Amino acid sequence: MKKILVVLLIAVLSLTLFGKVKVALLINGTLGDKSFFDSAARGMKWAEEKLGVETKVIEMGYNPSEWEPTLEDISDSEEYDIIIVGTWQMVELLERIAPLYPDQKYVIFDDAVDYSKGNLQNVYSITYKQNEGSFLAGAMAALVSESKKFKYSVPDKKIIGFLGGMDIPVINDFLVGYIEGAKYIDPEIKVLISYVGAWNDPAKGKEFTLSMYRQGADVVFAVAGETGNGVLAAAKEMDRWAIGVDSDMQLLYEEKDMDIVKHTLTSMMKNVDYSLYRAIKLYLEGKMPLGKAEALGLKEKGIGLADNKYFREIMKSDPWVLIKLKDIELGIIRGEIKVPTAYGMSNEELNKIRNSVRP
Amino acid sequence: MNSVLSSILSWDFVASGIRVTTPILLAALGALVAELAGTPNIALEGTMLFSAFVGVIISGFTQSLWLAVIGALLTGIVMSSILAYFSLKLKTDIIMAAIALNIFASGGTIYALYLLTGDKGSSASLKSLVLPNIDIPIIKNIPILGNILSGHHILTYVAIILVFLIQYMLYKTPLGLRIRSVGESPDAARSVGISVFKTQYTALIISGMLASLGGIFLSMGYVSWFARDMTSGRGFIALAAQALGGTSAYGVALGSLLFGFSEALSFSLQFLNIPYEVTQSMPFIITVGALAFYAWNKSRNKRNRDI
Repeated sequence: MKKILVVLLIAVLSLTLFGKVKVALLINGTLGDKSFFDSAARGMKWAEEKLGVETKVIEMGYNPSEWEPTLEDISDSEEYDIIIVGTWQMVELLERIAPLYPDQKYVIFDDAVDYSKGNLQNVYSITYKQNEGSFLAGAMAALVSESKKFKYSVPDKKIIGFLGGMDIPVINDFLVGYIEGAKYIDPEIKVLISYVGAWNDPAKGKEFTLSMYRQGADVVFAVAGETGNGVLAAAKEMDRWAIGVDSDMQLLYEEKDMDIVKHTLTSMMKNVDYSLYRAIKLYLEGKMPLGKAEALGLKEKGIGLADNKYFREIMKSDPWVLIKLKDIELGIIRGEIKVPTAYGMSNEELNKIRNSVRP
Repeated sequence: MNSVLSSILSWDFVASGIRVTTPILLAALGALVAELAGTPNIALEGTMLFSAFVGVIISGFTQSLWLAVIGALLTGIVMSSILAYFSLKLKTDIIMAAIALNIFASGGTIYALYLLTGDKGSSASLKSLVLPNIDIPIIKNIPILGNILSGHHILTYVAIILVFLIQYMLYKTPLGLRIRSVGESPDAARSVGISVFKTQYTALIISGMLASLGGIFLSMGYVSWFARDMTSGRGFIALAAQALGGTSAYGVALGSLLFGFSEALSFSLQFLNIPYEVTQSMPFIITVGALAFYAWNKSRNKRNRDI
């Protein structure tokens, strides 16, 4: 008995002293984006605090030519147990480099490597089911739009809006979830859809949104990067509602402009931080699904609506909305509600969904 | 369909067209002055961007609108001075120098934003001010006229006044005459004792200041923050509007209005059953159409004259 205890003690000691798991997060950009990369770095911090691993965040900058040598150097150093990269821009690089270091473990978030290429048994891909989160956003938009208790709603019109950056699969995945979520609340609801065709043009985003509000929409879901922030400005100007995306827009604007915060219902967030924390935890438990892509949805908390004090304040107008949303969330988690995805959907199917809500 | 039609035939549509036109018009006037002086200012885009940034930063840190506007105008002057120094003094190609400035503005604004606020995408957390909209007292109560004339952004009124001022300056003042003659034939101008350098430098400075007004309209009018590359090509559209409008400020104003309103049209048309690629390219289709008409009209006039 004593012997076992001693062995255990030594094992634990050596683990804490020498065998600390080391994780490197390589950012193909810089911190301070108030979105994905900051969120990923937050996940590293959590892992450090709660799981006792050692983490290092490396900013590779926005110059793509620097990414490959950095990833190679870090892989070559064999210093880290796990190397984490993110976004679609890193997919090809990782597909090329991961097979060269078969003993190194990699994690990629927000996109998946193509496992059919083989030799990628050391990569774990994390994607997010934006369609599930958007389903919630759509349901919420419909509920708020048709409730008489919210001050900026126009309940008799039954029109909501969607502002997309471009007509591409990932944005349409948001769209499909949003439409289905709204239709789940009211099959008769109408959704105005527009694509700006630019990611960096808030002025144009605002103008598009004003146009939607004028057509009778009262809630607009912005999925267009920086362009989407124009939606918030439009909501403030016309006294209507906006829903943000990716990061918590209400917290982002709270110091600057409370009017914008008060016209924003919530934000549909990809919880990059939690998903990375979870990945490291799985690794420590020996359960990391290497060689696989995992889509995290509401069930895995990979995605969800931002919950903050402003959100709760707005929801006080009609607490029933919150209850209903919780109900839907549970329905999705239990698999009772099936949320379709735009991935793999043909153009005809997509247009059918779009046309079903055309005013 | 009806709702779309009614939305096009509404004052909101007019207001939207005017909003879209304003930054383009301001920059296009800048393009006009520079073009007439023989120094095409391709750096309008970068000048707008940098001014948009400086306006937000100064108003955020000093909470003074006047300082913000002055700072933005100074930015325009500095950007143009750099351009002028490279192209007029060091004789580099003015297009190359301008492209360098545009690239510098895109990266430089983000770098400075990061140094000053710690943000890299937008100045969303900086409490900056916006320039006001103006209601003209008596006119705003007149039913239709009030809708058209009153309630616009202050820079919109400034832009309208500037159209006349620039036209007057170019065609009725000695400076305008010098600018045009230098642009037409620098050697002839030099032979009668006009300083080509000084005139072109002045023209570029005016051009830069006009562009900077267009820039702050975006970051202190349209929205209340600066965002990475937020000018999104408006400086280049202004160049096209100037090319469309020819050599008079009125023509340039018309060219800008054509761009502005065709874009506003694309906002309204997006809800019709038209593929959105078509509505998005609407401003450009209309422009090509207008250019073709212009060319056709010109050649017809010429033929008539020849006969």
